[in-house]
Amino acid sequence: MSRIEAKKPSLCTSEPLTKEVVSYSLSVLSGILKSCYGPTGRLKQLHNGMGGYVRTTSQSSVLLGGLSITHPVLKVLTASVQNHISRFSDCGLFTAILCCSLVENFQKINFAACTVTKISRHLLSLCIDYLKSEACVCRIAVDFDSIKTLLSLVHSVLASKPACMLNKTETNHISTLVLKAFLLTIPHTVETNVVLGRCVIVPVKDKRVMDSTVFPGLLIEVPAFQLARTFPIKRISSSTIKMALFCISMSGDISNTGEGTVIVHHGISLEVAVLDQLLSLGKQLVNDQVGLVVCQKVIHPSLKVYLKEHHVITIDRIGVSMMEPLSQMTGSQPIASLHSLSPTYYGSLKDLRTESFGSKHFLHLIPSDTLVCSLILCNRNEMAWDELKVACQTAEHVLQLTIKQPLALLGGGCTETHLASYIRHKSFTLPTSALKAIDCSWTQYQLVADAFCHSLECVARCLEHDDCEILTDTVYGHFWSVQSEFPSDCNWSDLVLKCGCGIYSKQQNLNWRVLQSQCTPFTPQSCSNESFVNSTDHLVLDCFTAKCSGLQVAVETANLILDLSYIVEDQN
Amino acid sequence: MAFRNVNRKRHIGLQQLSSLASIGRTLLGPTKLYKFIIDVSTCESVLACSAVRLLESLDLTSAVGQLLNDTIQAQNKEYKTGMTTLLFLVGAWSSAVLECLQQNIPLPVIVSVMSEGLNSCSEKVHCLQLSVHDLYKGPTSVPIYFSSSSQGPQIIENKASIGSNHFRNPLVHVCEEVPVFKEEGVPEVPHSHQVSWWDPHNRCLNSYLCTTDYRIPTSVESADNKTMPAVPGSRLIASSINKRTRLTHSRYFNTLEEKHSLHEDDNFGGPPNRSAACPSKCNDFGHLAVALSHGNQSSMKLVQDIVRCQQQVADHTGTFQFNIAEVVTCCLPGLSETDSCVCPGYVTLVSSEKATVIRQLQDHQLQILLVDGDLTEKYRHLGFNGPSNVQIISENVDLQKSSSGSLWLNCVLDILIQSKVNLILVKGNVCEILMERCILNNILIINPVSLNVLHAFGEVTGVQLVTYLSQVNSHCVGRGVWLDFWRTGDLSKIELDNKVLISIKAEGIHLVTVVLGSTVSSKMQVTEDQFWACAYRLHHALTDQKVFPGGGAVELWCLSHLQKLEEQSLKQADKNPSGEFDMSSPLLSTSLTQYKPVVLKALANGWHQYLSRVMFNTANYASEFEASISIKHHLKKIADCGCPSAYILREFNKGDKAMADCDFSNEHEAVKICDNVTPKVEAWRRALDLVLLVLQTDAEIITGPKRNQLLNSPGSSEFVFL
Repeated sequence: MSRIEAKKPSLCTSEPLTKEVVSYSLSVLSGILKSCYGPTGRLKQLHNGMGGYVRTTSQSSVLLGGLSITHPVLKVLTASVQNHISRFSDCGLFTAILCCSLVENFQKINFAACTVTKISRHLLSLCIDYLKSEACVCRIAVDFDSIKTLLSLVHSVLASKPACMLNKTETNHISTLVLKAFLLTIPHTVETNVVLGRCVIVPVKDKRVMDSTVFPGLLIEVPAFQLARTFPIKRISSSTIKMALFCISMSGDISNTGEGTVIVHHGISLEVAVLDQLLSLGKQLVNDQVGLVVCQKVIHPSLKVYLKEHHVITIDRIGVSMMEPLSQMTGSQPIASLHSLSPTYYGSLKDLRTESFGSKHFLHLIPSDTLVCSLILCNRNEMAWDELKVACQTAEHVLQLTIKQPLALLGGGCTETHLASYIRHKSFTLPTSALKAIDCSWTQYQLVADAFCHSLECVARCLEHDDCEILTDTVYGHFWSVQSEFPSDCNWSDLVLKCGCGIYSKQQNLNWRVLQSQCTPFTPQSCSNESFVNSTDHLVLDCFTAKCSGLQVAVETANLILDLSYIVEDQN
Repeated sequence: MAFRNVNRKRHIGLQQLSSLASIGRTLLGPTKLYKFIIDVSTCESVLACSAVRLLESLDLTSAVGQLLNDTIQAQNKEYKTGMTTLLFLVGAWSSAVLECLQQNIPLPVIVSVMSEGLNSCSEKVHCLQLSVHDLYKGPTSVPIYFSSSSQGPQIIENKASIGSNHFRNPLVHVCEEVPVFKEEGVPEVPHSHQVSWWDPHNRCLNSYLCTTDYRIPTSVESADNKTMPAVPGSRLIASSINKRTRLTHSRYFNTLEEKHSLHEDDNFGGPPNRSAACPSKCNDFGHLAVALSHGNQSSMKLVQDIVRCQQQVADHTGTFQFNIAEVVTCCLPGLSETDSCVCPGYVTLVSSEKATVIRQLQDHQLQILLVDGDLTEKYRHLGFNGPSNVQIISENVDLQKSSSGSLWLNCVLDILIQSKVNLILVKGNVCEILMERCILNNILIINPVSLNVLHAFGEVTGVQLVTYLSQVNSHCVGRGVWLDFWRTGDLSKIELDNKVLISIKAEGIHLVTVVLGSTVSSKMQVTEDQFWACAYRLHHALTDQKVFPGGGAVELWCLSHLQKLEEQSLKQADKNPSGEFDMSSPLLSTSLTQYKPVVLKALANGWHQYLSRVMFNTANYASEFEASISIKHHLKKIADCGCPSAYILREFNKGDKAMADCDFSNEHEAVKICDNVTPKVEAWRRALDLVLLVLQTDAEIITGPKRNQLLNSPGSSEFVFL
């Protein structure tokens, strides 16, 4: 007997942002995200409370993926941040925190959403135009002739992930490896269409971080027993090994029988038939002088034995993630059929070696022209390894983005405070024609601009989690931090050492003020005196492309959230 | 989603960590106290005597508990030793960090100073390392490297800071001082091999290898000799029996009859892998093994026997390594502990129904088949997916009578009989009927057998493993395998639970089985764990090629080193605000100088607690307080002496009981205790990493269905629900 239940009416909530539950949830979420930000950010334990895996993290990608958020307003926020992360990997927390702050600060001034939207879009375009212009002094050009800037970029990404549990030497080691791996993926000859190679991360957990290393070519893990009995590899010439790459299962199963029933006469074995087919395939491989057979899935043990007897090395179950780099590296096309073997599908390798790494054993596939490399990544336990892997992938992505647009932004909060000073100054001196174009009063514009700058400064402020005061100077508009319990008669220049990004050290002619305190707008400048510019140490740098996108995503999402007037929920 | 804030001042996570770790206090040191863990609901209980087993058996539902367990398991997986140290230090350091928090020290300062402090210790403690080669030579010959060359602490630091790789190899030093090894006075004993060779330093060394090459006849030996009938030609068995009886009388491996001379071989630093590279033929691990036994001499004796066993095989094949991957254990609860022994080959329990077949096969050379899968009709290799929609039809009614099952059985039996196989080792399950039919045909099937055993037999007989019996051809059938009942010293066969013990051997097999007995069956696990701990300690010592002086010497050195850092930082506070601790955040450099001495002291406190607990547990001290006073006394002497490493090595050589040394040795020979290098330093790092990880965590986010449960729980006020 079926039971018919009346459909529930949809639930409609008007003006969701004015509801207390929404603003409360939003402030909790922004609290979580803010506390994770930066190199001294606090970590979060993510788990299901029932004995599941405990993930300790401070990275936005893991955090947002792990949170189960139900409220639609929060979902809008997390979805757009996650989309940003999937495209750029970096600056996820920046985007999320800025978006939360913008929503909070815009709500306070309580204007019509459309006015706020218009003004904030204008402010955003001011920011982006400035960042992209030559006049921008909070960005530096990345010089590919030296590795210093690139290393700083990688270093900044890794240093801002405290859950990786790296010390200084280890951070330097991993930074160098990530950069080395990235450089291996750049083609030697530049044509019109540059395609970067691939860096495959090979997990070796429970080992020391300093044991990590980079190999050109691919490393495929094999059981120790397989390495125990090696035999001379069949080569075409001294530097060529022919290989075949299969992407279908060679386990001898009868797949794709379709729907319906297959009727087989007694005495006929389908399995034997398939195995015969596999063995004849093996025969052809042997005849074609293939020296290495790699299969994404399982190879039938009988075929393995047959190939082994003919001195062909087999590797199976390499998984789908290895297929693309392998095919790219060897020039072999994945074979998806057991019937037709065309010689054009075969690829070639320069050499094949064995490597042992702790208790793990690998076959090292060395291509003739290497654009693929393997980064053996070690960390002491599973959790720290997972965190380090994400950090390394982010760093690699940052380098890829930087090669497309060779610019970097000053990190450590300096870009945010500098940009806020710039916007304050710009909005103060905005021509009335511009005001007319966006159809708002000068006061309205000032209030929104103030909220905008306040939000930017708020993001910078989140870099410090301990009792300290954030200062900004009135020349460069950079970020400086001091301990909060300073004596009242103390001169600030005695307390500060370096700005957040590390480019400026303290100078006598600088004046400081507390961040977010009232001040008269000024034009932030760059330093004319070279002696104050730090050129020896690592700077803290951020990815230009990712940060610009983050800024845009944050403003657009905040506008969208402010513009929400109804939530309609289907309750069935 | 539920979200809980962890209070900063009274960090809940650290409190949990410190209280969890405190349960492992009595497991520290060589004299451990057993713990009973009782499940109240089922009344089941477990006996635990190591940090791993303890945490495994506890119901750790909290996130911090799980992290602790994961950390311990990771250490266990990689090193199999150092877990108790890790557990204790987690507790000690988390309470030290809690104290720092009480004093309002900024969190990044704690994190940075503690990790840099530990870093400095683990980098510079390498000056205490002893080369394992020195320990081969016995207790009198461990040199004090710095006694002649040390001019003061600065010089040592400079040396050590170059990095351990550049550190002077102590071995060379030894060779210069002790040029001839015959000094040791090796008694002339009947020996079968006399090997001499030239070492890299152009010195001829004699080696007296005591491979007891007795030819044991097939018949039973006289009872007082406690040997047993052996398979003809199997020297390995004979020597192992001989050794076993000898061990009941001897304290150490290198008793008079088997004093092995040794030689140095510069051939170390090879690729570290599962098998620790031993200097070839250098087989007297006596003193090293005793030093690493940590109060577990009976287990260590077994490990020494394994080394001996593998050495004997290597004498035939040429290359010798202590290969821990080729060691398996066979646990026999109920058997006396004195019956524990080491046997070459594979020893296992089989059901007594097979006894008749075994009796038939025991005096013959057997043909062996190794199956890497199940022996059932339905079994298919991994990755094979049979189609579900195939229907088999038959036009002939007669054919259907004989079911496919019996068809398969007959086919399989035909293959086995035709290939004249007597013995099959199977990794997985075996069809019951096949097993019975094979017994009728005098074929013995043993299952389940682990993969490394299969490969060991595969290697020695030169055959390949098969997955299906249809693959069997002449390449798959191995020869030269012998089978026998396994007997204890008094020749009795062992029957446990209707099962008999058998041993399978092959000429030249590297595999060694350790038969472990324990009269108290609940102690079986403990006995096995202790054996593996000893085996891995020796393995790591040989892999590293160096050891630390044990008994707290390293920790004492770290304490003195931290003290020095503390004094330096106090001096530096006025001059140079950042010093060697460079901070990522410029702000912190000011508070860094202010708090650095306090945090370093907290770090040292952890080790101090550890050391006094070890000393207290070894029962040389009446209380931890008394032990602590003794440590302070030593520290003062070190400070006066000026060169910590020289002082510590001197004390170590004296075998000073005032250090945490403990008295296992007999009266005349003070036995040194040694610790592993890499596992120990790694355990420190993992412990501190965990504490700092929990310290930096400020919130717990619980996702999934647990949310509703929490919502209704009394503690729901602690949580924020989104």
